[in-house]
Amino acid sequence: MSAIALMTKKEGGELLGSARGLVWLIAISAVLSVLAVLLVSNTELSLLDNAQVVYMVMGTITALGGLLAIVHGSDAFAGEKERGTLIPLLLTPVTRAQIVMGKMGGQAAAWIAMYAVSLPYLWAVGSSGQNLAQAIAYLALFGTPVVLGFGFFAIGLSARVGNVRSALLTSLITLLLLASPLLMGPGLRQSAVGKMFDAVNPFSAALNTYDSVVIDSQPFGMQVGRFAVTLVWLALTLWFARRSAQSMEI
Amino acid sequence: MKRWMTLLAVFGVMLGISPWAGAAPSPVQITLQPDAHNSAQPKMGDWLKFHSTVTNTGAASISGLVVWVSLVEVTSGKEQPVDLEDWSAHKAEVRTTLAPGAQFTVDWPLRLIQAGDYRVVISAAERTAGTLSASPFADFHVKRIPTIESARILPVAVGVPLLLAGFAGWRLRRRDRL
Repeated sequence: MSAIALMTKKEGGELLGSARGLVWLIAISAVLSVLAVLLVSNTELSLLDNAQVVYMVMGTITALGGLLAIVHGSDAFAGEKERGTLIPLLLTPVTRAQIVMGKMGGQAAAWIAMYAVSLPYLWAVGSSGQNLAQAIAYLALFGTPVVLGFGFFAIGLSARVGNVRSALLTSLITLLLLASPLLMGPGLRQSAVGKMFDAVNPFSAALNTYDSVVIDSQPFGMQVGRFAVTLVWLALTLWFARRSAQSMEI
Repeated sequence: MKRWMTLLAVFGVMLGISPWAGAAPSPVQITLQPDAHNSAQPKMGDWLKFHSTVTNTGAASISGLVVWVSLVEVTSGKEQPVDLEDWSAHKAEVRTTLAPGAQFTVDWPLRLIQAGDYRVVISAAERTAGTLSASPFADFHVKRIPTIESARILPVAVGVPLLLAGFAGWRLRRRDRL
């Protein structure tokens, strides 16, 4: 088994293999349950209101995925350092780039588990509406690079800062900033500054795609630019994580 | 002087002398027919199609003709005009000229977004004429479909966390046994 696969197994096992590790997944399902139950009370929804609900759930899942990636990523190097296990890890015949990818493997496994848990919720709120299959496919396609990008970003910060609390706080503030379109109405994003922010923000790219596909039934051809934004985000954060790990001081 | 002017205006109205009184009836005639394949009991999410034929019944050419679709909700207690933003992407048709006797057909697809009783009407206005032409109404009822069902959401909302908690508990007990 390769070094990356071994690390992925270890990191993923900590998050998914142990009973205590599963608590975060139960918490996430509880959040989605509360959101779904709140929606039950509104029986006068139109067809598009229903699509709006699916869009809202998709945005929440992406934000929760980002949160998961950040918490896990912030611990990647700084946590090892604080626990005194970083030097033994670096003494193993594994490159720093492989450590980054191994840590990310664990996060990716956790994101897959979270995505699987969210599917019944998407079905529950969206099966009698429109574009449910598209919602499921686009959540995977656009949510994955956004979530993994947050993970790489937090891993990079963790390596650079060397302190879990500081890396976590900085990453959370970044998540809050990038996920702000989830809280702001579209009207607030119509200014020139708002449009510019939307154009380069990977979270906005994912949200606008969810809106476009689920509510407006628009095809993939109209999402190519937004997909490119999420891929650029993933590539940049990967570069940042690798570069930070290479230049990390022990 | 002011009193005389008012009296003259009142007499004018009584005699039918007004800026609109002399306007000729519009030469534009519009028909409206539901498509033969339209569902007899349409429900939310369905598509309905309407066909209209616009004819210039006058002797002169018409220029700058705009034809548009309007939708009015007539559900008891909810009477209101409907914003077609989500219902239709094809809201109007423009013709620069329409020769005497000429006609054209326009199809109006509508996606049914909200349940209720509705009336659809096609209107037309010319660039210069002072009258509005309208088709007869076409009425339809949209059946509600459940968009958010508690029977579907509650089992998921309660079942998924319980299932995960049960799995975690089982893992914990299994580990303790080992």
